Amino acid sequence: MAETKEKSLSDEKPKPRVRPIVRLGIFLISHSFHVSVVCCTAGVLALFLLPVLAKNTYISENALMPGSASPMLSNQHVSDGNRLVKDLTNPNSKSSETGIESHKIIAQYMLDLGAEVSFHKFHPQMNQFHPLHFFSSPDSGKIQENYSCSSYGINTVGIIRAPHGDGKEAIVLVTPYNALKSGFGEALSLGIAYSVFSLLTQVTWLAKDIIWLVADSQYGEYAAVAAWLREYQTPKFSSLSTPNAEMCPDVNNLFELKGHSISGSKFSNSFRRAGTMASALVLKVRDQNEQFEDTISIYAEASNGQMPNLDLINVVNYLAVHRQGLRVNVEKLWSLLNSSWLKSLGEIFESLAKVAKSLYPKWKFGIPATEYVEGTATLASSLYYQALGVPTGPHGAFRDYQVDAITLEISPKFSLDKVWRNDILLRGGRLIEGVIRSVNNLLEKFHQSFFLYLLTSPSKFVSVGVYMIAFALLIAPLPMVAASLYVDANSSSNCSKGDSSTPSAITDTDEHSIAIRSWRWLNSAKLVFIVHLWGAIVSLLPYFISQIPDCSPTTSFMIWVLLSILSLLTLNSVLASPLACAKATQEKEWALVKSVTISSVFIGLGLMSVINFATAEIGALLMVPMCLLAQPLKLDVRAGTLRSFCRMICNLVLGHIAFPPAAFFLLKGMLDGFGNANVGDFWMWVESLWAWNSATYLFIGMVQLPCWVLCISILFHTC
Amino acid sequence: MQDLCTMVHLCYCLFLVLSPLIELKDSQIIFCTDVVSAMLIRATGQNLRLAYLRSLESLDLVKQIEVSEFLFSGDIAALIYLCNPFTIVACVGLSTSPIENMAVILCLYGACSRLIPLAAFGWVIATHLSLYPAILIIPVIFLLGCGPDSPPRKLFLQRHQQKEVLNQSKLPPRFSWGPVIHFAFWAFLWSVYVLVLCGISLKQFGGLWEMFKSTYGFILTVEDLSPNIGVLWYFFAEVFEFFRNFFLIVFHVNILFMILPLAIRLRHRPCYLAFVYVAICSMLKSYPSVGDSALYLGLLGWFVNELADMQFSLFLFCGYVGVSLLSPVMHNLWIWRGTGNANFYFATAMVYACLQIVLVVEGVSAMLNHDRKLRNLITGKPQDAKS
Repeated sequence: MAETKEKSLSDEKPKPRVRPIVRLGIFLISHSFHVSVVCCTAGVLALFLLPVLAKNTYISENALMPGSASPMLSNQHVSDGNRLVKDLTNPNSKSSETGIESHKIIAQYMLDLGAEVSFHKFHPQMNQFHPLHFFSSPDSGKIQENYSCSSYGINTVGIIRAPHGDGKEAIVLVTPYNALKSGFGEALSLGIAYSVFSLLTQVTWLAKDIIWLVADSQYGEYAAVAAWLREYQTPKFSSLSTPNAEMCPDVNNLFELKGHSISGSKFSNSFRRAGTMASALVLKVRDQNEQFEDTISIYAEASNGQMPNLDLINVVNYLAVHRQGLRVNVEKLWSLLNSSWLKSLGEIFESLAKVAKSLYPKWKFGIPATEYVEGTATLASSLYYQALGVPTGPHGAFRDYQVDAITLEISPKFSLDKVWRNDILLRGGRLIEGVIRSVNNLLEKFHQSFFLYLLTSPSKFVSVGVYMIAFALLIAPLPMVAASLYVDANSSSNCSKGDSSTPSAITDTDEHSIAIRSWRWLNSAKLVFIVHLWGAIVSLLPYFISQIPDCSPTTSFMIWVLLSILSLLTLNSVLASPLACAKATQEKEWALVKSVTISSVFIGLGLMSVINFATAEIGALLMVPMCLLAQPLKLDVRAGTLRSFCRMICNLVLGHIAFPPAAFFLLKGMLDGFGNANVGDFWMWVESLWAWNSATYLFIGMVQLPCWVLCISILFHTC
Repeated sequence: MQDLCTMVHLCYCLFLVLSPLIELKDSQIIFCTDVVSAMLIRATGQNLRLAYLRSLESLDLVKQIEVSEFLFSGDIAALIYLCNPFTIVACVGLSTSPIENMAVILCLYGACSRLIPLAAFGWVIATHLSLYPAILIIPVIFLLGCGPDSPPRKLFLQRHQQKEVLNQSKLPPRFSWGPVIHFAFWAFLWSVYVLVLCGISLKQFGGLWEMFKSTYGFILTVEDLSPNIGVLWYFFAEVFEFFRNFFLIVFHVNILFMILPLAIRLRHRPCYLAFVYVAICSMLKSYPSVGDSALYLGLLGWFVNELADMQFSLFLFCGYVGVSLLSPVMHNLWIWRGTGNANFYFATAMVYACLQIVLVVEGVSAMLNHDRKLRNLITGKPQDAKS
């Protein structure tokens, strides 16, 4: 206030007119409470509207031309595939302990088709702590010292060179196969892949090389594919001293056998490569099925919520539905399907759409309530799996190398007769053939369609432009409230100055007059910085805890909690110097802390929405209300009105819910029931997050946890 | 790319004589330059603070402005320079911008403490390394001519008219041409020296003209369009070829246009003028890097006392933090993950440029407000001020 008086004195002319944009800003800041209530409600509402706003998918890339050519896969190829299935399910082939026999059978079949065959041996990598890994490109992997010959896997790789191609591009077909305990489904998936493979050796239209990878899934499907990809993309040249898979007698044995049993021109010991991968398909067949028709499930989520290009899903969906008559599924949260509140919400939307349509016939945005419920369940699961940041199948390994990949899981209606088996082989094979033929047409990488989208059904999607609106509405109040708190805190202190002293003099009464005026927030910024530093420390602690041998999840978790509290206290006593305490008596200190906290949360959420949208959305749903409502409990108690009482209750509830472990247990309880909740579960969950190098782990450690601590400290602020 | 350019320069002049180029990347030279820069910043900051206190004393304002509450701006500036993540990143990344920064700081230090040969050396080397510091000659001339930052000369005259005793000793000195000519002489000497050295070492590579073409020409024609935190790469990647020359002229004249008005308005505060120039250059230069921001953010620390009233400080701080976190993520999204495109990254570059503009505008207006406040203290209500 003092400054404005000075200004008016010195200028001696009427205040210039404030520009409209500034006036709008001032209006928004002064009404920040109403604006934030409106924005947050609109944000949540927009989230629930997403299934209604979903658009039908369309094939964006012209070159794909799915289904334009009639399938060439004939019964001859199907019977070839059948032969392989029979050989693999034959009990004789399972005699060997390591399952080498079945690998040899597969290799023999590939060689008979004239493909190049090689084996790739790998050691499964242990879970490692690399939370920042998502940001860097995948490395060639650490060479571990404790390799033993007892644990290794063998991938069988067959490559068909394209007659018309230049060998610079390739399409990958992956079939996970566990030689030791393979079910009938895995054999069947190999059969389908083989029938397609045998067709592709004969066709003339092939422009890209075809790689068929039979991934040894005894250490997990993902590990095998990831190991092969790592070798393919970033070859490592280890020194001779490290023990290698080649040295193991068992494997050498395998090669010797190969040597004289196979006419070996096309077989090679070394790692074989084709061109850069245009896309990859992972094919699985499920063993048990309770469905009444043949369905095919699509899994697309890779690490950190990355999705393959939508065109790939479109092609599969189009060919499966319109050519092969298979039902296409994407993952749903089944528990949501029966919820009544969702159904009633859907009915409300439906009736609203009806009213709108009666008002103006061109408004056609409504969808039936059942469809809405299904869309919401699919959307929720899409959000959930993206937010988790853990890939839903072996296709996730490809996305790390910018290769578009999906997993197709065929679940046939179960029967054992031969006609049925042939039918599944034929339809599955034709689907794969069609997809490969489409991808084969591509001139460039997939780039036309969306990478950032959420699915609400196999043929409907919400693009980034739509779902970002919901998120933007949710976090829009944050900067406004931060600004209004900041202005409040500053102006109130200025007012007190103006009262206590004459306007023009810079005050003898006020001690910190010059040094801190517009820089008062630095103190709060220091506090926020300390807490975020603590968050970084907490996120790093599990690395050391996981080194402790023989530690049960529960004890690990307890150690983690104890160390975290200890480090918080230490940091607080070391870095929060007595000088800060002397200054902390400023009035409205909490408002500045809250303002800086909200700013940091805004930055954190904005950052996360770029890295992984779903995490940011779920995090925003938890954190935004907590941040906006936080106010010292003392003030509320002192005020004693109904409104402050409500706010106090909300604060306490949110303070409990938004604590990351509490949120986890609540979510888990809602999904699985509260009966078997265990403290160690959280540790296991967190462990899985960092092992899959999910950015969600960092988000929880460095944004959500510090925000929660700061909000709690505001709640218990002594003012 | 600026790095490359500087490297070429360094190769041409200094390090060919002093030490082989390869050692630059391995050794601790860059770390040492940062430490030396911080020390020079500290010394200059103390100089400036003393000058400010002296001018307050001669204005008789010492009582009204609590001098004891004055922050040690030199220490703060040095700390800001050393603890700034930008400085750390530039140092860890072994960028050569710390060396350019040191040359600039050397020049300002020499001018502040009236070591004219040193100032001339810093200016010549800074210009030689990255061309843009050439415009620092204006603040250096003011610094040498009238001494370091002080309130406008008009204020002193008014003050003494009120008292009706014209004490010449308390007035700031008038502009004196002596040191300036001295500076010009030394600058000439140093540039001849540097050019001769370059000429000798470049004899077999096509001589000086080739050096100018491949260094200054490279800076001025914006040939390299690989993404950086500036905005020019995107612009010149998009622009039609036949407009290119026109826009090159427009963008470079843009800097020159701002020199004169700022020099007139801030002539009594040459160090602040130098800060503004450095900030504008780092915004509009063809290959900006975070090292440039490190320099002007460090220099900003000199004026902590004057800029206490700066507006939007929290906003600017959050903006800098947000942009410096967001832009690597956007770059990752575009280059590595392939799900984003160039616009994602360019958006952060634009936000960054806007933040720098807001910083400069707010900084200059805060400084002018500070001058206005001092004037009010003297003329507006002297009796109030004394009470």
